[in-house]
Amino acid sequence: MVWGPMIAVYLFVAGAAAGSYLTASLVSFKYPGGVFTRKAGRIIAPILLAIGLLMLMLDAEAGLRNPLRFLGLFANPRSVMTIGTYIISVFMVVALIVAVLELMGKNVPRALDIVGDIGAICLAGYTGFLLGDSLGVPLWHNSVLPPLFIVSALTSGMAIVSLIGAAFDYVEFEKMGVLRPIHIVLAVLEILLIVALLVIASGRGAAGAESVAMLTTGSLAPAFWIGVVGIGLVLPLAIDLFNMRSTKSEASGEALAQTGVVVGGFLLRFVVVSAGVMMVLL
Amino acid sequence: MSRQMTRRGFLRASAASAALASAGVAGLSGCSSAPAESGPKETKRVATLCNGCSNECGLWVNVRDGVVHTLEGNPDNPKSGGRMCGRGHGFAQMTYSADRLTQPMKRMENGDFEPISWDDAYAEIAEKLTGIIAEHGPQAFAFIRDPRPNINFYGPRFTAALGSANIYTHAAACNLSLQSGYRHTIGGGFSADLANAKMVMFIGRSYADGITPADMKTFANVAVEGDCKLVIVDPRYNNSAHMADQWVPIVPGTDLAFLLAMSHVLIEEELYDKKFVKEHVLGFYAFKKEVEQFTPEWASEICGVDAKTIATLAREMAEAAPAAVVEPSWRAAFGCAHANSFMTARAVAAFNALLGNYGQEGGALITSSPSLGALPADKFPTPPAAQHTRVGNEEYPLAVQGFGTNLAVLKAALEGSMKAVFFYQSNAAKGYANPAVWAEGLANVDLVVDIDVQMSETAMLADYVLPECSYLERLEAVYLLGGKTHQVAIRDKAIDVIHPETRPADQIFRELSAACGVGQYFDFTAEELVEAQLGTIGLTIDELREKGIVELPTSDFKYGKVPTFNTPSGKIELFSVTIGRAGLSPVITWVDRKVHPQEGEFYFVGGKQSIQSHTMTTSIEALMDISKTYDLERLWMNAADAAALGIAEGDEVEISSSEYTDTVHVHVTERLMPGVVYAPTHYGGSSPYLTQGYEFGICTPNFVPFDMEPGVGSTMSQEVAVKIRKVGA
Amino acid sequence: MARYGMMIDTRKCVGCFACRVACQMKNTLGPKEGFVHFEFLESGTYPDVSSEAIPMQCMHCADAPCEKVCPTGATYINEAGVVLVDANKCIGCKYCMVACPYSVRMIEEISGVVEKCRFCWDDEMGGPNNPSCVATCIADARVFGDLDDPNSDVAVAIAANDAQPIAGDLTEAKIFYVR
Repeated sequence: MVWGPMIAVYLFVAGAAAGSYLTASLVSFKYPGGVFTRKAGRIIAPILLAIGLLMLMLDAEAGLRNPLRFLGLFANPRSVMTIGTYIISVFMVVALIVAVLELMGKNVPRALDIVGDIGAICLAGYTGFLLGDSLGVPLWHNSVLPPLFIVSALTSGMAIVSLIGAAFDYVEFEKMGVLRPIHIVLAVLEILLIVALLVIASGRGAAGAESVAMLTTGSLAPAFWIGVVGIGLVLPLAIDLFNMRSTKSEASGEALAQTGVVVGGFLLRFVVVSAGVMMVLL
Repeated sequence: MSRQMTRRGFLRASAASAALASAGVAGLSGCSSAPAESGPKETKRVATLCNGCSNECGLWVNVRDGVVHTLEGNPDNPKSGGRMCGRGHGFAQMTYSADRLTQPMKRMENGDFEPISWDDAYAEIAEKLTGIIAEHGPQAFAFIRDPRPNINFYGPRFTAALGSANIYTHAAACNLSLQSGYRHTIGGGFSADLANAKMVMFIGRSYADGITPADMKTFANVAVEGDCKLVIVDPRYNNSAHMADQWVPIVPGTDLAFLLAMSHVLIEEELYDKKFVKEHVLGFYAFKKEVEQFTPEWASEICGVDAKTIATLAREMAEAAPAAVVEPSWRAAFGCAHANSFMTARAVAAFNALLGNYGQEGGALITSSPSLGALPADKFPTPPAAQHTRVGNEEYPLAVQGFGTNLAVLKAALEGSMKAVFFYQSNAAKGYANPAVWAEGLANVDLVVDIDVQMSETAMLADYVLPECSYLERLEAVYLLGGKTHQVAIRDKAIDVIHPETRPADQIFRELSAACGVGQYFDFTAEELVEAQLGTIGLTIDELREKGIVELPTSDFKYGKVPTFNTPSGKIELFSVTIGRAGLSPVITWVDRKVHPQEGEFYFVGGKQSIQSHTMTTSIEALMDISKTYDLERLWMNAADAAALGIAEGDEVEISSSEYTDTVHVHVTERLMPGVVYAPTHYGGSSPYLTQGYEFGICTPNFVPFDMEPGVGSTMSQEVAVKIRKVGA
Repeated sequence: MARYGMMIDTRKCVGCFACRVACQMKNTLGPKEGFVHFEFLESGTYPDVSSEAIPMQCMHCADAPCEKVCPTGATYINEAGVVLVDANKCIGCKYCMVACPYSVRMIEEISGVVEKCRFCWDDEMGGPNNPSCVATCIADARVFGDLDDPNSDVAVAIAANDAQPIAGDLTEAKIFYVR
């Protein structure tokens, strides 16, 4: 397939940027004391997005050689990528302002934060819809992929923010009890969506079946089963459930779970992008 | 390949630096930026002839700022019919190949090649050649060429100027058996009037693989829109077969049995054209008596086609006659393939005679060719005739005189009597017979000179390699086209010479002959030659340049008129005294193939692919990219055979014969007769100078033991059996 | 304005690649680049076997998915229905390649621009300049012209042969196949 690892990285970090931002918003709303976690989310969001844009540009060779052409990205509102460009533009401006205010130790106006939240939700959604406009690729051209990528964006962002927040102030992080059940719900949802994606794709002709075979038994199977399912979903879920039942959780266990989510989030994009197979017409 | 060496690089850069493009390759390194499509473009159209294969189709070259942009088939040319095949387009790109020879080369003591100046090369070659002739006589010098009009003028002239009769074409590895068979049966070649036929049988011939564009077009239109029955007789369901009405798979090298049995049916059932036979055939009763034994049941055992099919096909042909014809074929099945190829061609001619189709609409057409008048003797003196018999003529007297068998040169070289061999655009050491034998033979030769545009495998064995400029960079002697109509065409210079140290053949022979002391026979330029040639038929070069081809009023072809058969008796000779004298059966009869696969062995057949021509196009990146992308080098194997050996599509196998072992990937297919494997005949390059084709695929002649067909001296390219084993199994 | 389209008769096509190489030269593509590629099919069991060579290139869909997804508008459909690429706008994001279900777009190595068959459209002429794949076809398997002119060769041929797009109504393709 013509889109490779660079696009997978782009989709991952853009989604994670959205997830980070939303996590920070949630923390600032619900846990005013969660300073480190909030700061981490707000500062990291624009950085992640910038990395993503860099990947996108590096992958677009003709534009790289003639950078002014990237201005053309706003030109076709029927293209999901153009809509994404609008979203990224708005969100990037807001995220940067929020990050600067955060760095200066100033309060972020609630209205601005909400604009950022809306932008982040749109951004996460965009990463899901981008692949969907590929008529000939059954694994991508379906209604399950967008929600799957949105959910994965949220968990990935949340995990990155949690990892940093917890590293700086674990006690403070421990107080933010709502994050864990949110993660559990999202992780279960993600598992259901992955199952749905595999079922739907395998029913869409030879190309869909080939994609599913690549993921489940083929060359991508180790990354899928060990990376996406094992490290990214089952392991963090197990740790979460264990931590919820015990009175006191271990920082190392928490770090392991969050790292797992991040790795799994990236690998999900990677395997889905890599397993895209164009349908056979003849 | 460096980017700046490509034609595209030239084209891209040309808008900015047209002068550089024509001056050479220097200074073009900055051309990898965005398309330089702006700016004024100087364009011109030049009519010339392709050189991608022996057809030499007429084409128009569109030149932009001194660089070849596109090619178009010349609609006035009967070979191209306005169309052009892929290898023809691709062949033009060789002109811009980084793998081209750009200067004369000399082989040093250690085997490496070093550049040498033209003057030094001429001096050294002349000294050695005249020395050899002085010591061993002119019969120790031979000249082998891929026959094209220009070298057909210069090659024989040069050889004769030095007193030698040893001039040969590549035919021993092409269509020597077939043309010789026709020569001794009907007096020469013929063509099938496909456009008007009701039934045509193609034996080992595929218009889609060995392409003449105009014929391919006719075939496709007849097949899809016409009501002519087309039958493909071939062990392989070739790339024309999907258009045919019937595919008749046949055991390789047994077409003769099939033809004899069809003749048996026509005679037995009295379906042959009695009037025609009575008036135009010699030896019919001998033939009739001979084929009594060759029943369809007999043939079926040998050729694998069931008896009923043989009989039905024969009856259908008779029913459609005289608008029915067995197409003359070219190389693959009986051009030079088997011990019985000469006799197979005889049998084709005989079967057509039974149909009474010669000269008839939809039948077998024997047409004439135009000729030039005598060139002015003062400017173009004719060298005296050689005083010895051409090497090979005694042992292989049935070979068409204009061709000769070049393998006699190899034989003489192996025996030590051949001391100097020249090759022109002729990769003999790769394709004409077993390459190892050529290497052994040429090692015995004191002076090997090769004129080529690239460092072919034959050039690798030469002492001197002289680089010719490409066909787009030179003007050549005129090309006469025979057929229903007569024409004269021209290969013209479309672009300036790119590499200053490459030279056109006319200049090479002018300078080399002068160095050899026979310059008086070559004291003219290509322009002067063409003008003189055209002067003999009342044309000028400018008139010819206008359209690239001019029709001549000399054809007397008329449908319905039985042609003159240029045989000793003036009739179709099913019994030939000449052939009997040469030690072969004077009457057409069964001759077995030489090699029969034993248990566990396969017949090994070769064949052309549309985008490659001989071995010379495997240096062209655009064509080789297709070969590599579509795995065109693979060895075809029937699916049932493959299953029995545990071989799947793309598996690597070891293929071995008595002579050679190599590995290749397999294409598993239902399009091939069980017991047969097929490989294209272009690949397996072993010249490291030709980077694109180097060691890609297998070289089919490697596997074939060196031997020559009795009477004609053809290479018997398919007289071999191979074993196949899955690698790692 | 005309609406250009093509008919390809795979009953005639011999898969000889003449169209690919001719096109490559006309469009000054690199030696490994082509706007035309082939699918080779084989069916049946020896000796009852058949084969088909199918040339594939841009289908010039009226509802071209590549045009819809192109963010910069580099891919556009001109007034004659020909899908074209403005090389000066293309950023090389390859979204069009992902979107095209026929896989007939390619990256031009020299520029990074994603290109495709343009029916040999010539801006100076304001029309197709004798499409090289049609002009060179040795098997007479291609017919090109104005689909809206019922008397054009292509319209007549499509009607006579009931030629159909290669993938049904997947898109509104303007290359019609006889198979």
